[in-house]
Amino acid sequence: MADLQISPVDAVGSGIAPDGGKYVYCIIRSDRQREFGAIGIGGGQRVYTVAFHDLAAVVSDTPIVIYDPTRENVLAHEFVNETVMKEHTVIPMSFGTVFRSEDDVTELLRSTYQAFSDVLDKMKDKIEFGLKVLWDREKVIANLERENDEIRRLKDEISRHTASSTYFARMQLGRLIDSALEEIGQRYVNDIHDQIKPVAVASRSNKPIGDRMILNAAFLVDRAQEQAFDERVKETSRKYEELLTFKYSGPWPPYNFVNIKLKLEKAD
Amino acid sequence: MGLLSNILFFPVTGPVAGIRWALGKVQAVVEEELTDDSSVKRELMELEMLLELGDIDDAEYVRREAALMQRLREVREWRERLGKGVSGGPVRVARSEDEGNAG
Repeated sequence: MADLQISPVDAVGSGIAPDGGKYVYCIIRSDRQREFGAIGIGGGQRVYTVAFHDLAAVVSDTPIVIYDPTRENVLAHEFVNETVMKEHTVIPMSFGTVFRSEDDVTELLRSTYQAFSDVLDKMKDKIEFGLKVLWDREKVIANLERENDEIRRLKDEISRHTASSTYFARMQLGRLIDSALEEIGQRYVNDIHDQIKPVAVASRSNKPIGDRMILNAAFLVDRAQEQAFDERVKETSRKYEELLTFKYSGPWPPYNFVNIKLKLEKAD
Repeated sequence: MGLLSNILFFPVTGPVAGIRWALGKVQAVVEEELTDDSSVKRELMELEMLLELGDIDDAEYVRREAALMQRLREVREWRERLGKGVSGGPVRVARSEDEGNAG
């Protein structure tokens, strides 16, 4: 989901070299050396900063490997970002970004200095929240059958007749339910958006995951508005208590609102 | 030239060209499936969702995650073998000739 896109022109294979590589978690503004403790990826590596002027990359030492996005690894990456975020505005790096040496990290900061600085200014004191909304399809369909006369009539017809004559009625019913579901889903999503948007700086809708999700959104929120945002989300979820499940998460680094395309290439 | 001239003057090349085209297509589809990790990533996100919703437990997650990681690695191997880019692994800032007009 990270939007700081790393597009390696051609990264190397899985050859394991000794330590010396740097795993980069995020970029922050800091004019002094910082330490964040032994919380890094790969079993509690020391997390510290590599600086260039007033920018710093938050890194830990690593062998030159490709990290699989296992839950353990992803959580380690995320936990470091959460820790750093408590005191800093961060530009998150996408998962698994490994540089071969400290010099290569410095070069990244030097060559992308202006873009990082601009984004850090824009993201100052802003955090991201994720909101996923799921529904129970069966429950919504049951509701539909109670409230929609046309659907109820077709269902009755199907239950009264023999299998052969109900084929088209079934098709029609399926189509009716599908379009009614789509309409209701869209109505819920629009309403939820309308409720929450006023307390956010920006929002973004991502593709829903799986077939029960109707909304997969990210909101950029001013730290000063965090409580207001929180209350609004809870209010909205209470409104839909019977029908929808709200999965609310954060604060995250602004993954969905930072888009710097880095031109990176394989390091030999 | 074109289809008509193939049919009129070189009847044999018609089907041959057709078969070549079909094989090329199959090859492309197979390569695409071997080297595209987007479906694995989508399944991984769905799996995480199931865990968060409490539909599966940690043990089940770990078991299914292992299978997905294996598929990711296979995709990576195929990408390497076919000379395509691999995400992950060591990178550095590109020192390419078009640096001047970057950004």
